Amino acid sequence: MTVTATQNPARASITVDRPADFDEYWQAGLDELAAVDPAPLLTLRLDLSTPEIDVFDVRYSGTGNVRVAAWYTRPTGEAPTGGWPGLLLIPGYISDPVVAKSWSLRGYAVLSVAARGKLRAMDPVNPGYPGLLVDTIVDPYSYTYRAFYLDTVRGFDILAALPEIDPTRIGVHGSSQGGGLGVVVAALRPGAVACLSAGAPYMCGIMDSVRLTYTYPYQEIREYLTVHPDHYALVERTASYVDALNLAAQVTCPTQVYIGLRDDVCPPETGFALVDALPGEVEFHAYPGAGHDAGLPAVANEIDRFLAEHLQPVGGSSRREADTSRSNA
Amino acid sequence: MSTSSSTSTSIDTTIDISREMFWQALDAELAGVPAAPELLHDPFRSTEDYTFFTVRLSSIGRHGSGSYRIAGFLSIPTRQGPHPALLELPRHGSVNHTPHRNERERFVVFTVMHRGQRLADSPYRAPYPGLLTEDITSPDTWIYRGILADCLRAAEFLSGLDGVDPTRLAAVGDDLGVLTAARRPIFAALRVDSLLLTRLLARSSATVSYPLEELNDLRRHAPATLAEVEHTLDQFDPLAHAQTVTARTLVSASADGTDTAASELLRALGDTGEQFAVTHVDGLDADGRDAWLADALGVEARSRFLTASVPLPGERSPS
Repeated sequence: MTVTATQNPARASITVDRPADFDEYWQAGLDELAAVDPAPLLTLRLDLSTPEIDVFDVRYSGTGNVRVAAWYTRPTGEAPTGGWPGLLLIPGYISDPVVAKSWSLRGYAVLSVAARGKLRAMDPVNPGYPGLLVDTIVDPYSYTYRAFYLDTVRGFDILAALPEIDPTRIGVHGSSQGGGLGVVVAALRPGAVACLSAGAPYMCGIMDSVRLTYTYPYQEIREYLTVHPDHYALVERTASYVDALNLAAQVTCPTQVYIGLRDDVCPPETGFALVDALPGEVEFHAYPGAGHDAGLPAVANEIDRFLAEHLQPVGGSSRREADTSRSNA
Repeated sequence: MSTSSSTSTSIDTTIDISREMFWQALDAELAGVPAAPELLHDPFRSTEDYTFFTVRLSSIGRHGSGSYRIAGFLSIPTRQGPHPALLELPRHGSVNHTPHRNERERFVVFTVMHRGQRLADSPYRAPYPGLLTEDITSPDTWIYRGILADCLRAAEFLSGLDGVDPTRLAAVGDDLGVLTAARRPIFAALRVDSLLLTRLLARSSATVSYPLEELNDLRRHAPATLAEVEHTLDQFDPLAHAQTVTARTLVSASADGTDTAASELLRALGDTGEQFAVTHVDGLDADGRDAWLADALGVEARSRFLTASVPLPGERSPS
């Protein structure tokens, strides 16, 4: 199957081949993940906690038994009947995961992941920035980003397994890498993700994206190919396995996508392509003139509303803060 | 101990002698540490238009060490100089952006990684959150004393490179640039795209987001230190340094005047300050900021948003 889309501003058609063994590739990854005990360790950080919010340092294991990290924040006190709604936050490419107090003040229990290579998870695996996008890119099975994806999926599993969480009300949110990997999590945990809000989705139409920008992180691939032009076919093949457009068809939850029409990091054409590839209900916002902030701060209220509609937070403090963290690449 | 200077604004432009002595001591300490730069050529990021290096160089020590190795990305155009030069100051976060192709083609560009950030994280790895308030109870121990020294060292390094036009040197980043330009009056232009240290304590009370939330954590868990923290932050507030900036300075602030601290900074800069009226439509704002910098350094303005797809090395042309 080939996903093809041509969209405004239409500098290029976004085309991604789907390898014949695509499903087996990801099933093998999920099997690798299932074989590893996550061994989650949550440590209350009193120095970061408040009377309203508990903050935990989280450690857990991903594929290869690599220990990675996260921040977990939740409202203090007893969980409501049925549990807190959960929210998985995925950071941008170079961003550090947020300690999501503002979200927990709104009534969410939030896990904010630091997959391998991120600060607090870089001792066993550290491809660097720049570096992660092309680390072992000639081999799809040992490609570091594949394991990074699976660390993020496991973050969702860790959150879903917490006893104070309502497993029917867990959403995923992020922008840039967070948006692209949000698609990945929703696709690989169908039925478990209640909704997805994805801004400026990265890792969608990867090879076309590299052609459409000189900005990092995609620039890493152009630089790699400049030195290794003979590896083009290998790079393209690996990219097709991890391209979120090829996973999008497996997303079953309601999804919000928001993009900037002058985004030099994640080309807007690829956001349109994602919307076309998602099979279900999609709420789409495209902002003229906006770059990689993808409509922030204007879109912040739309994000809040979308997540609240699907996750129904209750008992949140009236003290709110718009999502202007711009967890971009 | 202080002596006053006149001002037509509400900003206190008092020149604090003890503050000046503090910064002179930092300058003297930095001057005692040889930069000892090492340049490692990076073939992945070099092209026929520019040559790219990873750089290591020394700054003042930390916790009693004599010096600390910081890092940076350096790109030098291959065409004949002299070139305009751009210092990209470190963002608040563990990783900095790699200089963009647009900058590499137009400038000698140096992006500095301060102590604790990637490539400069041995032996010290900065925590996030945690960096902003590390050892903050004294200006002599606060991590930002070392970080400012790292920025000053970067400015010295860049301005001392062969091929750099000393009359066309600029810095971009957050308000660390105000202190850098105040202590090293070598810049023709300074672009302050965001605020970190300006009115830090006051701004922190209006947010629960890091890094400013670190100050609120201190309020909750170490309230007895607040007077000391306030004293430390006073030493580093860009408002207290702005009057000595000689560079033409662009400060991003909302057009509606709601960015109170940015407005204060503009007033403190006086005639050198200009406002960039942020539209909050970031693609347009980015192009506007670039046009200002290009004008200041005498190069062509460029947008990062490409007009067309560019083929990749190694791909076959469509048949």
